Amino acid sequence: MTASETSENSTAESGALSKKGLGAGTVGLVGAIVIGISCIAPAYTLTGALGPTVAEVGTHVPAIFLVGFIPMLLVAFGYRELNSRMPDSGTSFTWATRAFGPWIGWMAGWGLIAATIVVLSNLAGIAVDFFYLMLSQIFQNPSIADLTSNPFINVITCLAFMLGATLISYRDMQTTQKLQYVLVGFQLLVMVFFGIVALVHVGAGDAFDALPISLDWFNPFAVGSFSAFAAGLSLSIFIFWGWDVTLTMSEETKGSSSTPGKAATATVVIIVVLYLFLSVALINYAGVGEGEYGLGNADIQGNVFFSLAGPILGPLAILVSIAVLSSSAASLQSTFVSPARTLLAMGHYGALPPKFSKVHPKFFTPGYATVVSSIVASVFYTVMRFISEDVLWDTITTLGMLICFYYGLTAFACVWYFRKQWFTSIRTFFFQFFAPLVGGLILGILFFTTIIESANPDYGSGSNIGGVGLVFILGMVIILTGVVVMLIQSRLRPDFFKGRILAPGTAGDSREAMAALPE
Amino acid sequence: MRYIVGYTDTPAGHDALALAVRLARTNGAQLDLVLVLASEQRPTIVPADPGYEKYLLDTAEGWLADARARVPADVATQPHVVYAESLTDGLNQAADDLGAELIVIGAARGGILGRFAIGSAANALLHSASVPVALAPDGCRALEGSPALSRITCAVGTRAGADELLTAGIRAARSGGIPLRLISLVALDLPPDERLAQALRRAETHARAVLEQAVAHLPDDLTVTTEVVIGDVIEHAVATVDWDPAEIVLIGSSRLAQPKHLFLGSTAAKMLRELPVPLVVVPRDSGPTIGDL
Repeated sequence: MTASETSENSTAESGALSKKGLGAGTVGLVGAIVIGISCIAPAYTLTGALGPTVAEVGTHVPAIFLVGFIPMLLVAFGYRELNSRMPDSGTSFTWATRAFGPWIGWMAGWGLIAATIVVLSNLAGIAVDFFYLMLSQIFQNPSIADLTSNPFINVITCLAFMLGATLISYRDMQTTQKLQYVLVGFQLLVMVFFGIVALVHVGAGDAFDALPISLDWFNPFAVGSFSAFAAGLSLSIFIFWGWDVTLTMSEETKGSSSTPGKAATATVVIIVVLYLFLSVALINYAGVGEGEYGLGNADIQGNVFFSLAGPILGPLAILVSIAVLSSSAASLQSTFVSPARTLLAMGHYGALPPKFSKVHPKFFTPGYATVVSSIVASVFYTVMRFISEDVLWDTITTLGMLICFYYGLTAFACVWYFRKQWFTSIRTFFFQFFAPLVGGLILGILFFTTIIESANPDYGSGSNIGGVGLVFILGMVIILTGVVVMLIQSRLRPDFFKGRILAPGTAGDSREAMAALPE
Repeated sequence: MRYIVGYTDTPAGHDALALAVRLARTNGAQLDLVLVLASEQRPTIVPADPGYEKYLLDTAEGWLADARARVPADVATQPHVVYAESLTDGLNQAADDLGAELIVIGAARGGILGRFAIGSAANALLHSASVPVALAPDGCRALEGSPALSRITCAVGTRAGADELLTAGIRAARSGGIPLRLISLVALDLPPDERLAQALRRAETHARAVLEQAVAHLPDDLTVTTEVVIGDVIEHAVATVDWDPAEIVLIGSSRLAQPKHLFLGSTAAKMLRELPVPLVVVPRDSGPTIGDL
């Protein structure tokens, strides 16, 4: 018996075992939806993004959420094309390198890593808030919830959470499927319940600042200025970030070739409906004024559920805490994987030290890359906590900018990579040319608009250093650091930067196999 | 004859490989180096990434190739990467599929002075395997290339029986042309007074009787020695025995085990923590499978 026969036999055997107790087919679709929702982490996303979005576009949040999905969808089409052509754990890095060469590819990889590291610190920050809120609810002592505003306690707790998440990723510990279903189901139910109760308060006339629902909320053209529109849009891209994984989920592991498409559609319908419902309900309940619980109140905008759960749900507010905590935990785990795998690919192709390409011999994870991501995210959060007036808000805004940066590059990489086959069929025209091109252009405009606007000290949360907006400084520091590190690496590792390892080219050329990790 | 080596590119994996090479050299068994990766079918919160799966497979095959390169040319090896829910499942499945007669694994690191610290995976295997499981203690890899086994020690309990174990020991000793030692470990925890002395005498007499009964049934062509070792706890008894680094110890599976499966008994588990030499746990009713060791 040869090695490969054994592998196949054993895989088939164990595959049969693992399906025990679950109906064939259901694992694929429901499982994929669960993974998709768990990656998007709606409870976490909405509590982080709703406030900043209201600050930009007021009551037009539902409109912006709807419009925000369009560039995401267009780019995801391109993402799927690249993924099926070059399934590589380096994703944006590998693809952009193949399309545009090592320098732009390197920066795309850097953008992806920076974005995920920023979101890791934001996730952990939100989790800290809700951790203390939950403790205060359990012990019915409101002063415990205030502990989160003590920067030292906050940072230490956050580092503990990061450590936990790192260990879980490093050791590749997985929750059981049942637990995942329960957590995701719980998260959705609590969010719906939260919205319904808010509407009931409005109906009973005891809402905080009831604002009658209006169709105008759904009209994106009613947003006051283009800069507000762009800022809101770049935030709403963040709320759909992670959805693309359901679209690109590997088909062979899921049994049916139509499953990924169905799962992606079902996921996004659930998510959009939930976002619209909840944002309408909360604006309806609290208005967008600057009162204590108003969504326009800058003090609560970085984490709105944190402040609104109590007044709306009373003693049941703990449900929201648990939902957001579990949602953040799941998202921490799935998010950790992505910078680690990109770093691993960069190490493998010689764009970073080879240490990054090491796989842990026992846990089979990119161990070194995971630890490095975790340390950088922890340092980033700690520094931000001390220099920013509103760390959660600023990180979310910065994140929007970074996502636009690397997703935009990825979209253009798709267009350019497939340049020789744009017009071979209607399908390729749409998925490889039109959709990613339009998506990339939208993201590119958003990226540059955000950069220009964010230099204003009044932008977003109003954090600034010496009269320059903190988000602008952050964005510049992150991107320029990338350039500096890239220049250093190009001296140390010229092979990659001269295109000897991963050569640029077009779809279907002889060097395409180089990108499929490994040969 | 095929032996499974539960291989990882870790010190424990290298220990397992070194022990397996020594065992294989005594009787020309073929080694199947099995590296178990997590099945893609297992539930994960992280979306499957075919790019990473491929990279992992390639890396794993690289590790196995390196391992094979270290095996002396006179031992035949075969690499396998298998996917399973857990390491234990993967190794048991591979043993079934390949018709292997022994699974060799390395104990986790962290044991004091080369003694065993059982990792959770090894522990699970010791409670589920249907073939004998050999455990390589930490540091076993240092003996790589050393001569074959010097002696077989069977840890016989204080109760008569354990026929499978004796059979295995006899055949192993005979095929290697090496001495067989029967050993009986007795734990007695009493205050040092007259009663202790009596108890000690009784225990010794009983253990002797069991051993003599066993020896009486042994064929004449073997050099057999017997030893009764008494300590206040099993661990101390084990520590006072004279161990040769090149010998292996055979112990039987617990009476709690399902037929033809391993279940590490509490005495065996205690021994395991103290033993500085490789250990083979033999399932009940395993018949002669280990016989040709």
